[in-house]
Amino acid sequence: MEFKHKTLNNGLTIIAEKNKYAQSAAVGFFVKTGSRDENTAISGVSHFLEHMMFKGTDKLSCFDVNETFDRTGAKFNAFTSEENTVYYAAVLPEYLEQVTDLWAQLMRPALRDDDFTMEKNVIKEEIAMYKDMPQFEVLDHARNLHFGQHPCGFSVLGTNQSIDDLTAEQMRTYFKSRYAPNNITVALSGNFDFDKITSLIESKASLWTTQPAPRKLEYFAGTFKREKIHKANLVCEHICLVSPSVSMQDKDRYAASLLANIVGDDSGSRFFWELVDSALAEEASMQCDAMDGVGTNFTYIQTSPEKAEQVTEIVDKIFTKISIEGITENELVAAKNKMLSAITIKNEVPMGRLVELGINWVYLQRYVDIDETVRQIKSVTVKQVNDLIAKYKLTDYTSVVLTPKE
Amino acid sequence: MENKVDFITLKNGLTVIAEQMPNVNSIAFDFRIPVGAAMIDDKYAGAASVISDWLFRGTQSLTSRELIEKFDYLGIHHSGSANTSCINLSAVLESGNFASALELLAQVMLTPRFDQDQFDLSKETSIQEIVSLDDDPRQKVMLRLKEQFYPKPFSNNPMGTIETLKDLEASQAADIYKKNLDLSRTIISIAGKYDLSALKTQIDSLFSGDYANHKPDIIPSSSGAKYTHEHHEGSQLHIGLITPTVQISNPDYYNAVAAATILGGGMSSRLFTEVREKRGLCYSVGSKYQTLKDYAGIACYAGTTPDKAQETLDVIVNEFSGIAKGISQDELDRAKVGLKSSLIMSSESSSARSSNLGSDFYLLGKIRSLDEIKQKIESLTTKSVIDFIQNNPLNDFTIFTIGPKKITPPSNN
Repeated sequence: MEFKHKTLNNGLTIIAEKNKYAQSAAVGFFVKTGSRDENTAISGVSHFLEHMMFKGTDKLSCFDVNETFDRTGAKFNAFTSEENTVYYAAVLPEYLEQVTDLWAQLMRPALRDDDFTMEKNVIKEEIAMYKDMPQFEVLDHARNLHFGQHPCGFSVLGTNQSIDDLTAEQMRTYFKSRYAPNNITVALSGNFDFDKITSLIESKASLWTTQPAPRKLEYFAGTFKREKIHKANLVCEHICLVSPSVSMQDKDRYAASLLANIVGDDSGSRFFWELVDSALAEEASMQCDAMDGVGTNFTYIQTSPEKAEQVTEIVDKIFTKISIEGITENELVAAKNKMLSAITIKNEVPMGRLVELGINWVYLQRYVDIDETVRQIKSVTVKQVNDLIAKYKLTDYTSVVLTPKE
Repeated sequence: MENKVDFITLKNGLTVIAEQMPNVNSIAFDFRIPVGAAMIDDKYAGAASVISDWLFRGTQSLTSRELIEKFDYLGIHHSGSANTSCINLSAVLESGNFASALELLAQVMLTPRFDQDQFDLSKETSIQEIVSLDDDPRQKVMLRLKEQFYPKPFSNNPMGTIETLKDLEASQAADIYKKNLDLSRTIISIAGKYDLSALKTQIDSLFSGDYANHKPDIIPSSSGAKYTHEHHEGSQLHIGLITPTVQISNPDYYNAVAAATILGGGMSSRLFTEVREKRGLCYSVGSKYQTLKDYAGIACYAGTTPDKAQETLDVIVNEFSGIAKGISQDELDRAKVGLKSSLIMSSESSSARSSNLGSDFYLLGKIRSLDEIKQKIESLTTKSVIDFIQNNPLNDFTIFTIGPKKITPPSNN
C-alpha cells in the first residue's frame, strides 16, 4: 500500500491509498456536513441536498447523470449521517477518471426549482419507508431523545412538515456555506494513477471558493429520559438504549469498540449468551457510535411483548455486572480476534477500504494505515476497557420502546 | 486475473471446489448440505431453518458454548442459513487459521450434538423469526411472492409456519438431517489463500467416511394465485411482482439478465427513470433476475404510499410489457459494462467468490470462468435481447402486496 495526498490552494484535500493488486478502484467525496449542522428551520436539508446532487448541473440533466454513471459500470451511491455526506463510486480502474470527473462536476449542482419540487415526493416516500421499519424508527427516536436540544439529536430525514416547508432558496444558501472546498475531502483507494486523477480533480475544483464552514462542538452526556411509544401495527417490541461513550478523536476509541463487541456482538457476546442464544430476543446488539466530539453506545433489542420485561431486567443485570466486575481477558482476546479478522476481510476490497480511509482523515486529519489500526486494537488492555466502563456508565441510559402493548 | 480452480472429488462422491486468490489474506468457504425446504414434507415445514440454527449449538465433542468460543477465538465469522435446495454453512477468516476452521465446520456438519434443550431454543428462535416478519413488510412481501410464484415444492418457505414448527420434535428434525446428509450431493466451495496439498490431505481425513445416499423424489405441482393482498396498517403499500423467464442453464440466460438490468438494474434503468425520476412515486424501485435450478423469474419490488400505489403498479407493468418494443444500443452497452464490473468486483472478495463457486456447481454442474462469463456478456446484441423478449414476453405477472390498501392487478391476470 502506498499513501499520497495533496491539498489544493482553496483547501480541497485529496488523499489516496494505492493497492496495485486491486482489480478495482473507489473514489469518495466526503463533505463534512450533516443534520447536526442544520437548525429547525431547515431540518432534513443535508439529506435532501444529497438527493439533489444527482439532479445534475447547468450542463447535465438528471437523466444525463444517471446514464453517465451507468456507462462506467459503477457501484455508486451516497449517504447522509448526522455529520457527514459521502458520495462514492467503485469501478474498474479504466473507468475511474470518468466517474471522478462526473462526481467533481456534480459537486457544483444546478439545484433547479422543478427538480426540487419533484424530489420532495421521493424524500417523503423515503420517510414513509422508514416508518415501516421499526428497527430504524426506534434508533432515530432514541437518538433524538438522548441528545435533546443538542444538534446531534436532529433527524437526518426531517419530517413531512419540515420537508414541505423547506424552500429551494434555503437549500442553495445551505449548499454555499457547507460545500466549500475546505470542507471536502476526496479519498481514493485501490488501483489508480495518482497524478492523473489529482490533476483531473484540480482542473474541476480549483475555482471553487473557500468559505468558513464551522461546526458547533459541545460535549453532551445525554438526557437519560425514558419513553414508551404505542404503535398498534407492530407485533414485536423494539427497544433502544443510548448511553454516552467516547468521541472519534478519543485515544480510547478502539477500547470502546471492543467493549461494545464484548457486550453486544452477534456471536459469543454477553447479549448473545443471555438473550439471543437463549431465544429470549430475536436480536440484541450493541454498537459504539463515536462522533465529532461526542459519542454514544447504542443497544438495540427486538423481542416479544410478553418477554420484554424479563429481557429488560437481564440487560440491566448485564450492565450492572460488567460495571462491578469488569471484563475478562478471554473476552477481550475473542473480541480482538473477531475485529481483526473483520478488518482484514473488509479492507481487501477497495470499496470497503474507502470509507475507513476517508472517515479517519475527516476526523483525525491524518492518514491511518491498516497496520496502525491493527496495532491499536492489539494494544488495548483489560484495565483500559474497565476504566472506560467506570467513566461512561452503561447503567445510565436514555431509552425508547416501541410496543404494540397499550 | 483468471485464478486457478482446483477440484477434489472423494470416493463417497463429495465435491470440493477451491479457487486460489493470491492477493488476499482471507479465506472463505461454504458447505451446501442437501437439506433444503423443497426436500422436506409439508408437515415438517420449517425444519431446514431450525436445523441450520441447531447445527451451531454444539458438536459431539464440544458444547454449544465451547464451539462458539472457538469460532470467536479464531476470528471466524460464521453463519448458517436454509433455502429451497440446501442448508448453507459458511465461514470467512484470516487464512492463517484455515485448517482449524475447516475442521471445526466439518464437525458442525458431520457430528452435531443435537441436544434436546438446544433444539427447543432453536425452535423458539425460528418461531420468533416468523413472528418478527410482520414488522418487516418489505422483506415479507418478497418472501410471500416467491411462495406464490414457484411451483410446489420449490415454493416451500424454509422458515415454515408457526403451526408446523410448534409440532416439530427434535427426533424428527434429527432424522430429516441424517437421512438427507448425502455427501455425494454436498458441495464444498473455498476461495482465498491455501496450500493445495495440505488441503487435499485434510479433506481426505475429514470427509472420507460413508454417509447416507438419498435422492429425494421431487415432483413439481402447480403454483399459487396471481394476486394476493395482505392487510397491514403501515405507511406504505409494499408491492412484489415477478414474471417467469429462462433459468441459468438456458442458452438465453444472459439475454434474460440483460433484460432485467435494462428494466430495473441501475439508476438509468427504465423503472427508476419512469417511476422515481419522472413521477416521484417511490424511493425504492428496481428489478432483478433470480433463479433456482429449473425455474427463474424477473422480480420487482416497489414501496409507495397508498394513494400512489395504483399508478406505481400500472407504470411498472407498462415498462415490463413495453420492453418488447425495443431497446437502444446505449441501454445494452450500459447493462453490459454494469454486469462485467459487478462480476470482476465480486471476484475481489473471497466470500463472494466462494459463494459463486458453490452456486455455479449446484446450478450448472460446472464452474464458469470469469472469461467465459465476460465473453457471453460481450456477445449480446440488441437483436439477441429483443428476439429473446419477443419470444419470451414479460407479461405473466404474479403479484403480492402488503399494506393499508388493495390495488387492481393488470387485466390479463
